Amino acid sequence: MDRRKFLGLGLAALALAPVTQLSAMDFRKEKPDAWKAEKPAEAIKALYGDIKPEEKSVSIKAPKLAENGGKIPVVVKSDIEAKSVALFQDANPRAAVAAWTVPAGGIVDYAITMKMKGSGKITAIVEGTDGKFYSKVLAIEVSKGGCGG
Amino acid sequence: MKVKAKEKDGIVKVKVLAKHQNIGPEEGEKKKKEANFITSVVAKVGDAVVYDMSGSGFMSKNPLYKFKFKGKKGDELEVTWTDLKGDTKTKKAKIK
Repeated sequence: MDRRKFLGLGLAALALAPVTQLSAMDFRKEKPDAWKAEKPAEAIKALYGDIKPEEKSVSIKAPKLAENGGKIPVVVKSDIEAKSVALFQDANPRAAVAAWTVPAGGIVDYAITMKMKGSGKITAIVEGTDGKFYSKVLAIEVSKGGCGG
Repeated sequence: MKVKAKEKDGIVKVKVLAKHQNIGPEEGEKKKKEANFITSVVAKVGDAVVYDMSGSGFMSKNPLYKFKFKGKKGDELEVTWTDLKGDTKTKKAKIK
């Protein structure tokens, strides 16, 4: 990614970069531990540090009973002006599913299709531009596991 | 990869359907295939990034990504995914 190489050039380049690029962050490179953590709580800690998110203003839309764990549609929505969004679950070997950098003025309405090995809880964390964290936890049932099982 | 972008009242709704096996490490072991999955999806209009996701091996096979952003008709949206092996694919679509 050119933009990310560009950011890597150093602080001088960073200072010159337009505002929208300042928020860009490669979560996989900069927070490798967050992707290795087994439990959502550990992954959240590795990604954001010791935070106490408020359980409000974030919604998760997913089927209550997913017949096929290999393709579960999940939508994360929030009206908060956000800096980043992260999605975790507790059924797979590792917790982190995806993380988004929200561009300035971006709309938090992200839909993905994910895999889950069995029933579990999905956790979404939204980092607001106000520096506060918001969360939502949703339990779903999976009748057929989707991680090759 | 299929990309569809449609504008209504200043909001562009985007659907991206990527063609990828998305095999996580454990799944790869079981299926005797090499783990490889989409690690990043970035969408841009011109130089402005409108979508930036980092992903894990727990995305589904041939994943569907949907998102919204403030934009206008006629602009060109460019979507790029990168996988664990470093392969990338880019697709452009006009916002309708």
